[in-house]
Amino acid sequence: MAEFRLPANSIVGKGKHYPAPEGATNTRTVKIYRYDPDSGKNPRIDSYDIDMDSCGPMVLDAIIKIKNEMDATLTFRRSCREGICGSCAMNIDGSNTLACTMALADIDGDITIYPLPHQAIIKDLVSDLTHFYAQYASVEPWLKSDSPAPPDRERLQTPEDREKLDGAYECILCACCSTSCPSYWWNSDRYLGPAALLASYRWLADTRDDATGERLDDLEDPFKLYRCHTIMNCAQVCPKGLNPAKAIAETKKMLVERRG
Amino acid sequence: MTNAYKIIDHTYDVVIVGAGGAGLRATLGMAAQGLSTACITKVFPTRSHTVAAQGGMSASLGNMGDDHWNWHMYDTIKGSDWLGDQDAIEYMCREAVPAVIELEHFGVPFSRTEEGKIYQRPFGGMTTNFGEGTAERTCAAADRTGHAILHTLYQQSIKHHAEFYIEHFAIDLIMVDGECKGVISLDLATGELHRYQAHMVVLATGGCGRTYFSATSAHTCTGDGNAMVLRAGLPLQDMEFVQFHPTGIYGAGVLITEGVRGEGGYLTNNEGERFMERYAPNAKDLASRDVVSRSMTMEINGGRGVGPDNDHCFLNLMHLGNDVIEKRLPGISESARIFAGVDVNKEPIPVLPTVHYNMGGIPTNYHGEVVTLKDGDPDTVVPGLMAIGEAACVSVHGANRLGSNSLLDIVVFGRAAALRAAELIKPGSAHKPLTEEDSAPILEHLDRIRSAKGSTGTAQIRDNMQRTMQKHAAVFRTGESLEEGLVKMRDIVDSFDDVRVDDPNLIWNTDLVETLELENLLCQAQTIIYGANNRTESRGAHARDDFEERNDDTWMKHTLAWTDEKANVSIDYRPVHMYTLTDECEVIPPKTRVY
Amino acid sequence: MSNLRTPLSQVKGHGSAKDGTSHFWVQRLTAIAMVPLVLWLCFSVASLPGMTQVEIRSWVSQPFTAVLLILLIATGFYHAKLGLQMVIEDYIGNHGPRTAVIIGVTMLCVFMAVLGVFSVMRIAFTA
Repeated sequence: MAEFRLPANSIVGKGKHYPAPEGATNTRTVKIYRYDPDSGKNPRIDSYDIDMDSCGPMVLDAIIKIKNEMDATLTFRRSCREGICGSCAMNIDGSNTLACTMALADIDGDITIYPLPHQAIIKDLVSDLTHFYAQYASVEPWLKSDSPAPPDRERLQTPEDREKLDGAYECILCACCSTSCPSYWWNSDRYLGPAALLASYRWLADTRDDATGERLDDLEDPFKLYRCHTIMNCAQVCPKGLNPAKAIAETKKMLVERRG
Repeated sequence: MTNAYKIIDHTYDVVIVGAGGAGLRATLGMAAQGLSTACITKVFPTRSHTVAAQGGMSASLGNMGDDHWNWHMYDTIKGSDWLGDQDAIEYMCREAVPAVIELEHFGVPFSRTEEGKIYQRPFGGMTTNFGEGTAERTCAAADRTGHAILHTLYQQSIKHHAEFYIEHFAIDLIMVDGECKGVISLDLATGELHRYQAHMVVLATGGCGRTYFSATSAHTCTGDGNAMVLRAGLPLQDMEFVQFHPTGIYGAGVLITEGVRGEGGYLTNNEGERFMERYAPNAKDLASRDVVSRSMTMEINGGRGVGPDNDHCFLNLMHLGNDVIEKRLPGISESARIFAGVDVNKEPIPVLPTVHYNMGGIPTNYHGEVVTLKDGDPDTVVPGLMAIGEAACVSVHGANRLGSNSLLDIVVFGRAAALRAAELIKPGSAHKPLTEEDSAPILEHLDRIRSAKGSTGTAQIRDNMQRTMQKHAAVFRTGESLEEGLVKMRDIVDSFDDVRVDDPNLIWNTDLVETLELENLLCQAQTIIYGANNRTESRGAHARDDFEERNDDTWMKHTLAWTDEKANVSIDYRPVHMYTLTDECEVIPPKTRVY
Repeated sequence: MSNLRTPLSQVKGHGSAKDGTSHFWVQRLTAIAMVPLVLWLCFSVASLPGMTQVEIRSWVSQPFTAVLLILLIATGFYHAKLGLQMVIEDYIGNHGPRTAVIIGVTMLCVFMAVLGVFSVMRIAFTA
């Protein structure tokens, strides 16, 4: 449901300012959304002046530096730091992306960091992705085939058929796309969102899978699938350069095609 | 104090700690066989570091030319510099073929040959006919094979309704009279503790790359399972063997797959010379990783490195052409662009040997059961405990792992553990109740760290450790430098008594988690540097300037390292298994290792 | 608000309605159909000799004009109904109000369409 105002307990207040260490000449300000569930207080924006001369090039380097040197309570997810695990998805400079592949140099002025939009916040930049994962599971993203696999060799697939999976299998489930989609903001209880629909398309496009009909049956729904209005935010923000909107359009095309 | 924590109890047949490739393969295998199975993981499964594996998974399918698992076995043993257990290596190489076919049947989107079979590429140290030709043995899904496999395994786990405890940090094993009875975890989202009682605990917690300053490993690669085993009074094996991957991006440490060289890429020095031709006349850039890393380091030390400080090398792939790069190596062109600012079609990638993999770990047999040296028996099984994947030391990698053998390792031994557990455990059989005393020390330990109010921040101690390890236990090691490192590490370990945790809360307290991880890293760093100083020979990834030769008479044995509560290390040994499981292959006797 | 249903059960909800494709398809068809119809309308109105009531009545009463106008009105309101339904479903979350508004909008569209068609026919047959 569309909401145009923040609930009272989500209104963001002004937080603490952490000045740069003495002697730092080249500094930048990082403003970060903070929410402490234990205190029960409203969220706030803390600002940190960091010494750029001793900071790595990426936004993740900056927030790790803050955690290491200025404020150990700052909480965020991170793991691979090379853009493949999808942990450090957050809203940076107004756009969803991975902190580890977003260069500080590509941001003008202060660096503002919020958690992924329109998700329940557990703490600071950590949002609750339980529902997002459940939506992924709900499209049954695994190979379904009634044709028995050959017992002692692989299923065969032409390189051309395999190529159809390019752009669909590389998703890292970072949730940047779904949480940037207005349709998903308003209707995530029923709309599956770009990530889950891309995962579903990955199997629709796989020639080894023969459950295409059932998969399409399950998707054909005004909310699950047809909330996509080709707003294209998903393709815009995807840190892996994928295009979930195109996968959704292909899925709609398949649904139209099977009607006759 | 311990009453302050809310504890939720669970009972399962098996509990798996870790949801990387090995953990997921074991989880789905055990769930599929009707055992009640839980998998505890500190990150969402598809965020485990298996996801970052690029090049592929070896298996002698022979899709691109003649191949045989005997040749694969020979290569692995030679790669291990004869420290690998040959029974386990035989098992892995034989099972490789069904393992990769099983993955394909699960739905892994492997790249394909024109006939529609799984595409295979050459990789370092992989040969045909016992060292004669170059084998195309590494099954690849472009350069995102780990991602493809991990996601597929997670999908299969959902399909089999495996139960996950996600974003739970495993704290310690519950050990009763030398038997593992379960494990305790901290639920990050709520701050509640969970106590799992199980007939079998399987540690699939990965390696401890973060003991070093510059590693291809994720921030989460802190070897928590290894440390739990040390705290349980059990040894780790061969920890001194740390693999440096030849091609980590200079500065960022991000991995560039060996598959680049498999596809025809090569390394150059500041004279533009393909220097690997000098060090490995046959295999050249496809020599094993320890050899390539050492050669690069020698070039750099010889003043022939590239860059303003002559401190790295170039990896060239411009000549491969757009088509190969786009089809086979799309991921690394992205990494090179983001982390090195390089267009791989036009410029070489600046690279440096970077810590990548721990050959050592928890000693196990080829079923995945943890073993220890007890009463003179080096193969005494520890009841109730298994270890698989990088956390384990089976040992199939010996002193040096071949590229693309790790994805193989996790899948084969994840499956082996599941098969073994099904043999050992009757589903749903009763548990002897645990007493509060069994877990009391674990809770006290957690509480001590959570309320640590010392003067040194976690990050400071971690930085000291990582820099010390990077400096004193690097590609080349000397007794003098290692001794110095040992003294420094002693101080750093002691400084942990003065650690400070700033975040007092329990919900998503990453300050606490990082401190627990640091404690885990410290004891493992000790076993690495102590083992390195202790082993006075050069073998595989362990290269001593003061003992340049391999010494089979004294050192063809596994190091076992125990730590006490002050992280002092004591050492003993296990023999290398110089026998095979069947007569379908022969023992490969040690010989000089030339590529 | 505590909810003890599992996340997957919440996501699965009532399952798929096995519907939506015709809505999607017809919305596109009507949109495409309206392109020539609207172009024709603009062009014809612009080329009318004058804009007096007599002149427009005489134009509407021509059979060709009347048929195309009826088609445009029918297509336009059908398209409007489909589009408004989409917007309502997007922005009104509760099932009760949403259904009520959709019914209201549907009735309004039908009424307007019938009114339009009737007007054209009346002009066409009484001229």
